[in-house]
Amino acid sequence: MKKTDVTKPRPQGAKTNAANKKMASKYSGVHECKKDYLSNKEMSEAIEATLYSTLGDGEKLIFVIVSDLDNAGKYGESALAFTDKRVINVDAERAESYEYSEIGSAKAKRMYGNAAIYIEGDSLKRTRVFRYTYSIVALCDMAAQFLNDLAGGTSFESALEIVQATYDKLNLVCPKCGRTLLRAGAQCIQCQSKTKVVAKLVKYVKPEFKSLMLCVLISCVTTFLALVPPYMTRTIVDEVLPMSVAGEIAKGMAMLTGVVILLLGTHFLSHALGALRGYLTRRSGDRIVLNLRNDVYKKAQHLPMKFYDKTSTGSVINRISGDTATIQAFVLKITQECIVQFILMIGIILIMLIMNPKLTLLSLIPVPLVVIGSRIFSKKIAPFYHKIWRRWAKVTSVMTDTVPCIRVVKAFAGEDRAVDRFEKQNAEWYKVDMASAKITMVFPHIISFAVTCGSLLIWAVGGRWALLGDVSAGLLVSFISYASMFYGPVNFFAALSDSYQSALASTERILDILDAETEQNRDDAIKVDRLDGKIEFKNVNFSFDKTKKTLSNVSLTIEAGDIVGIVGTTGSGKSTLINLLLRFYDNYEGEILVDGHNIKDLDINSYRSCIGYVQQEPMMFSDTIFNNIAYGIPNASVEQVIHAAEVANAHEFITKQPDCYDSMLGERGVGLSGGEKQRLSIARAVLKNPSILVFDEATAAVDSETENQIQEAIERLISGRTTLMIAHRLSTLRKANKIVVVDEGKIIEFGSHDELMALKGKYYRLIEIQSMSNKDTISIK
Amino acid sequence: MAIFIDGPEVKITKVGDTTVQLEVYKGDTYPSLEPKRLFPRSSLTQYVTLMEETADGTAKEVAIIRNIENLDKESRKAIEDCFANYYMIPVILEVLDVVEKYGMVSWTCRTDKGVITFKIRNRLSDIKLLYDGRVLIRDSADNRYEIPNVSKLDKKSRKLLANEL
Repeated sequence: MKKTDVTKPRPQGAKTNAANKKMASKYSGVHECKKDYLSNKEMSEAIEATLYSTLGDGEKLIFVIVSDLDNAGKYGESALAFTDKRVINVDAERAESYEYSEIGSAKAKRMYGNAAIYIEGDSLKRTRVFRYTYSIVALCDMAAQFLNDLAGGTSFESALEIVQATYDKLNLVCPKCGRTLLRAGAQCIQCQSKTKVVAKLVKYVKPEFKSLMLCVLISCVTTFLALVPPYMTRTIVDEVLPMSVAGEIAKGMAMLTGVVILLLGTHFLSHALGALRGYLTRRSGDRIVLNLRNDVYKKAQHLPMKFYDKTSTGSVINRISGDTATIQAFVLKITQECIVQFILMIGIILIMLIMNPKLTLLSLIPVPLVVIGSRIFSKKIAPFYHKIWRRWAKVTSVMTDTVPCIRVVKAFAGEDRAVDRFEKQNAEWYKVDMASAKITMVFPHIISFAVTCGSLLIWAVGGRWALLGDVSAGLLVSFISYASMFYGPVNFFAALSDSYQSALASTERILDILDAETEQNRDDAIKVDRLDGKIEFKNVNFSFDKTKKTLSNVSLTIEAGDIVGIVGTTGSGKSTLINLLLRFYDNYEGEILVDGHNIKDLDINSYRSCIGYVQQEPMMFSDTIFNNIAYGIPNASVEQVIHAAEVANAHEFITKQPDCYDSMLGERGVGLSGGEKQRLSIARAVLKNPSILVFDEATAAVDSETENQIQEAIERLISGRTTLMIAHRLSTLRKANKIVVVDEGKIIEFGSHDELMALKGKYYRLIEIQSMSNKDTISIK
Repeated sequence: MAIFIDGPEVKITKVGDTTVQLEVYKGDTYPSLEPKRLFPRSSLTQYVTLMEETADGTAKEVAIIRNIENLDKESRKAIEDCFANYYMIPVILEVLDVVEKYGMVSWTCRTDKGVITFKIRNRLSDIKLLYDGRVLIRDSADNRYEIPNVSKLDKKSRKLLANEL
């Protein structure tokens, strides 16, 4: 019967049994000391005290799960402790315990945003014993299984094996960021690569270093040349023009000609070098963006399916196109303009100081205003770049949703709704962009105004000095020229924070792809050329996210050469079994072995090349029929491709196409019927000559005649290979020597057709339903 | 086809953590049904399904309540009590801290369920900003949180979230 212990927090030194007292003293306050029970985190002192006061003499604590919710469902703490005799739900105030012998079954129920463990037995009504968030669902699933194993008669030691394995896996986390590691001692990809954002970009700039340095050198020369004209202006005003007053017109003309020729040469050289520099800069910039874009695309190809489950394709495309261009512009700005503008600024200040230190100090007055203004602007504008991008990603998402589905849109007269949706998202983007425009448009004018005030100050003070004869008119005119040149770099650096914030936001999104964890190969991954095809699933648990368990404790052995039909209702987990076998998802618990090798130990490319996969909706590329068949073996000979097409019953319809094997397929195979595309997809699989074949509802979307043709092709293909066939139409499984019935993520039946019919379970019922529906169809006919 | 319940024709009594008994005055009594929102994001009171667990462990829908606000007081409370156990979407009342470290953004918030620190793996896909200022958040463990209207948060919270939304 249920045993309830209500206990107040135990004062220090309260009664505990000897062993636990020793444990408690070892444990309390010394987190690094070794505990002799398993736990996901330290219990609070209050809970620990309540728990130890509950334990009986000699009762041994085996494992503890600490939750982040209290029993009332608020954030707090409670724990579920498992001893050698019973399970105890404990919080700071009370403890409730249940003997293992009174528990008939346990269920870890996932609800919305939280979950709970329920137990029940012959004399125990359904009772909730623990409530928790999804943060510890894996542990609680294990706990429920542990209780069910014990209730099912498994020995305590055997039941503990899964407990130990789950806690071992829990320890496989990165000490820095807490992400799960692939294996013990593995380097965390996230932390390994999360260095400074700018440092990441250096990799792309490095190959262009020489070219960019040459550009900087040219820039130094052009900067120097840019400083010449104002100085020449001074010469003209102070030395050449006064010669007319002195009557030395001929000498003055000669000097003027010399100065003009010098200016002409200066301008010519300056523009010629500028053009050269422009070309070199463009070349380097394009190369940087070329490599960056290639890397992002390459990385996107190797990202696991779970990345695409959560990221829209529009957003990925946006990053590859738009964000790389933003980064290119910024990198060039940093490597080129920054250096040039800095040199220019220093050069101008030096010349101005030499010409007149007092006027120089006057011209520097607006600089602090510009610097402070930039900092304020930078803080205000930064959030907008994220916001604008997010809204723009939504706009592109609408486009990537509706444009490829234009047939559906038209068929359901959804054009206006599509337009509405687009306009709504576009309006959201406009709203945020306009809010940022208020800042980005106003700020430069405030800066320009401050700069203009600086120039006016020089006119006011310098003009007065010129009138008093303290400075020459030439010096003043030339100084004004330098001062206006000086504010160019000042403006540039003021506006730099705008580009910096924009580039930073783009870089973050690019790094989201570049730093994402790829499908992983171990360093010592085993390459395989051929597999016998024995497949074993051992205690496999999987969920796409933690809200719903998709596969639950799946164990299954398929011998080499077996033809296995996988049946079950929609959403039962059939395709997930295949997804895991193909290593589309690696984040499952348990093991999948092929020929005795854990598939995570196999080189992913060589492993996948041993598997032929035919999907329900065959995907075709915008390419010729030949290239679509040869997709898996790009160097396949013509005869190999034709043979594959013949085996797949595709050759005949291909020859009826005007361009036969050279026929171009439109986007996603437009131009072919569903059955034709399916046969091309089978031909693709035939060409690979795979050891394992997987058909995921290959004939679900075709008519009966086409189904027969596809079925013939499949039967030719499967001989001598391990074959897994998911099918709704059970008639397609006539060649299967074993049937797996999947329901609610569990394998509920496994055996031959005859064995399962004799069992009169789910498979029997499915066959009955399909037979009845066939009879109905016949009677309707 | 599911039966639609308008309100006065039934009596609902809570019988378990997340289960109720449904008594239809002019019909059957169902001893153990689990109420679930058909629109848990967009409607908290309308269209609540009542599911019965079958012998093979699957769930079968028995009825749909059009709006629990039209039920009698006790029946409505029974449903709401079940929801309190079944649904946990803490409402963020104040953002106390936002820290980015090792590529993970960590938020510390005061919610209606207490103070919690959680990690967001990808702010681009795990934070959804809806038109009306409502923000839906999913943490790295797939727990859900909600900000009913971001513009109604205090100034400090909005400042902390400026880079996140």
